[in-house]
Amino acid sequence: MKKISLWEIYKIFFIIGIQLLGGGYVILPLLRKYIVEERNWLSEEELVDYFALSQCTPGIIAGNISMFSGYKARGIFGALTAILGIITPSFFAIILLANILNGAIENKIVQDAFWGIRISVIVLVIVTVKDMWAKSVYSRFTSIIFIVVLIALLFFPISPAIVILLSAIAAVLHSKVIGGKNA
Amino acid sequence: MLKLYFLLYYEFFKIGIFAIGGGYAALPFLYFIQSKYNWFSVDELTNMIAVSNITPGPIGINMATYTGYTTAGVIGSLIATCAIESAPFIFSITIMKVYDKFKSCSAVNAVFNGLRPASCALLSAIGLQLLYKTCVTQNPFVIDYKAVILFVILMIPFSFMKKQPLMAIIAGALGGIILNQL
Repeated sequence: MKKISLWEIYKIFFIIGIQLLGGGYVILPLLRKYIVEERNWLSEEELVDYFALSQCTPGIIAGNISMFSGYKARGIFGALTAILGIITPSFFAIILLANILNGAIENKIVQDAFWGIRISVIVLVIVTVKDMWAKSVYSRFTSIIFIVVLIALLFFPISPAIVILLSAIAAVLHSKVIGGKNA
Repeated sequence: MLKLYFLLYYEFFKIGIFAIGGGYAALPFLYFIQSKYNWFSVDELTNMIAVSNITPGPIGINMATYTGYTTAGVIGSLIATCAIESAPFIFSITIMKVYDKFKSCSAVNAVFNGLRPASCALLSAIGLQLLYKTCVTQNPFVIDYKAVILFVILMIPFSFMKKQPLMAIIAGALGGIILNQL
């Protein structure tokens, strides 16, 4: 097979980055179009596998799946190129918007709009929790983790990193105990 | 300044390791950074999250770029963005090298049994705290009815729909202008 050029990888992920609006899940149809159907860098099955893997590995889903796909296309440098491609549009768009907003934020109407937008963010957070819920809280053990973490965070200023570490340890201990019974 | 860059890299590197389940999983970490360092206010952070939602690119990357930019300019945004992807880059490369083993490894699945609900609870806690701070003013204790009304109005349609960040943010902006200008 002909070696895929890094420039081609950068270009494709840059184009995907521009069209990525509204969260990680949007990347799936874009990847399917550009790299499965048009270029055949991955198979449909590989894409689905990588997507599942991206959700349960640390980091931003869209970033993870880009790196997996880039790696499949061209190894380590492919992964690096893919992530750079996907980051570039974000970078310029944010810096441009930040400068426009810094100038506009004195305006009363803009302030009122942002007051409302902050409530939209809360709604989006709650909707995301609802989406995550089905995939994350499905047994007695996962419910206990959820409740303990929620209560701990609401009443004590704990670092989220500590919470994640302790939950991982709890899960390993739990699987050791259960594993003995079920295996 | 160097110390600030270092702290920025360190905090966003941690997000890359511990945020599991997409861009929103980074939110609790950003609020934690806010309360720890005060590089920006809570309202500024929420505004940045909103803008990140409606800017092209992965939301998590946008949030890192924006908060990095607010904290330490263009260099800050570069540092935060590179930092948040550093650990996932190493993870991805490693996973791809041992892909088939990783997929069927029950120990890995067992760990995620604990990580997913924890990540979900982290986000729930942030949602509840933000809701409380927005709807209730402390000293004197006053309920902001306008905020409660807008929250309920937005919550009803958007909780039934597939996640629509752009629509939700436009609706929130319009609601904010209408409720405050009347």
